[in-house]
Amino acid sequence: MTAPQGIQALTDQEVVALARSGSEAAYRELLRRYERPIFSLIFRMVRDRELSEDLSQETFVKALNALESYRPEFKFSSWIFKIANNTAIDHLRRRELNTLSLEGSPHAATPEAIEATALQIGARQETPLDTVEAKELGGQIEAAIGALRPEYRACILLRHVEGRPYEEIAEILDLPLGTVKTYIHRARNELRESLGHLRE
Amino acid sequence: MTRPRQHLTPDDIDALLRDGADPSLLGHMIDCAECALLMAQQRAVVASLDALPHFSPSEDFADQVMFQVAVPDPFAMRSMATARRRVLETGRSRALAASVAIMLVGAMAASIIWTSLNRELLTSAGTWLGGEATQWFWVAVRGTFANVTEQPWFDAARRAFGAPVRLAAVSACIMLLYAVGLMALRRLMAFPSPTEGAAHAGA
Repeated sequence: MTAPQGIQALTDQEVVALARSGSEAAYRELLRRYERPIFSLIFRMVRDRELSEDLSQETFVKALNALESYRPEFKFSSWIFKIANNTAIDHLRRRELNTLSLEGSPHAATPEAIEATALQIGARQETPLDTVEAKELGGQIEAAIGALRPEYRACILLRHVEGRPYEEIAEILDLPLGTVKTYIHRARNELRESLGHLRE
Repeated sequence: MTRPRQHLTPDDIDALLRDGADPSLLGHMIDCAECALLMAQQRAVVASLDALPHFSPSEDFADQVMFQVAVPDPFAMRSMATARRRVLETGRSRALAASVAIMLVGAMAASIIWTSLNRELLTSAGTWLGGEATQWFWVAVRGTFANVTEQPWFDAARRAFGAPVRLAAVSACIMLLYAVGLMALRRLMAFPSPTEGAAHAGA
């Protein structure tokens, strides 16, 4: 279903107002405008296509079902990117906890007990989906982004892929402006070092 | 004699990347090979980042999201807005709405108080009403049954459904109709696929 031509010329705030009045076309227009940027941000944060689809879906369902709580004096893009970033960061934190638990019970006293309580994971076969992902995120720059700390990753992606100003990034990530600048500077330096060998 | 400028700070690098730098920074870059190399590398990183593409989710992504989103009913929204506007339109309408609200709240409060003071009366009234309703229900059932059995077609229908084979055939027909109805309903309620939409758009 394509959105009517008129809607495409409206600002985000006007589209949100239409959606609040019950226009399904307006909801679809918001989806059309933001599905690729939100999906790309989450995909580069979690680096798993299927999971990114689920987290992007979760982001949009949360945002579109809570349109009444959106305040039009703020940018809609900041609001939805904030929900997306929180969803991705929450997932990464949960995954970190799960990864730690795979290494055996923290209460195990001996190496045998640690081994006995650790989950055994067999060698995973690469699926066609993994191959596609490897191709999509396989570039040197993508690999270097993947190696950054999640906070740095979010900052650098919002700044240089989404083209958001520092002030908006600070609002999205709930960080002081100075911290955002520092993170972006450090992230760029880490990327410069990671990609340095390519130029040598 | 002017003091040589310090090396580039993070803010200087940002300013240079935005092409909004002080001319003195550009002058420093000419004199300082170290900073010139640093800037070239920073520009290369930013160029690589700027060239990164956006990825697309699966084709049915929007439909899957919309399936989980509660779109407000425009009719209900309009009715609510109209009602709110009319109520708040003039001082008289506001006063009228306030009196209706006070009357409703007052009536509810009075009924709660009266109910709590007359529980026994209500219980006995309820028992009597229940008994009467049961009696009338059975009278209606008996009357309907007697009426049906006296119809001229009743004997013929009884003979038709009397044989087990006929009864099974009729039941099978009813089940079949029910299944066909269910399938038709599912088709009606299914979302149009994106390919169907494209075909229509192209037509």
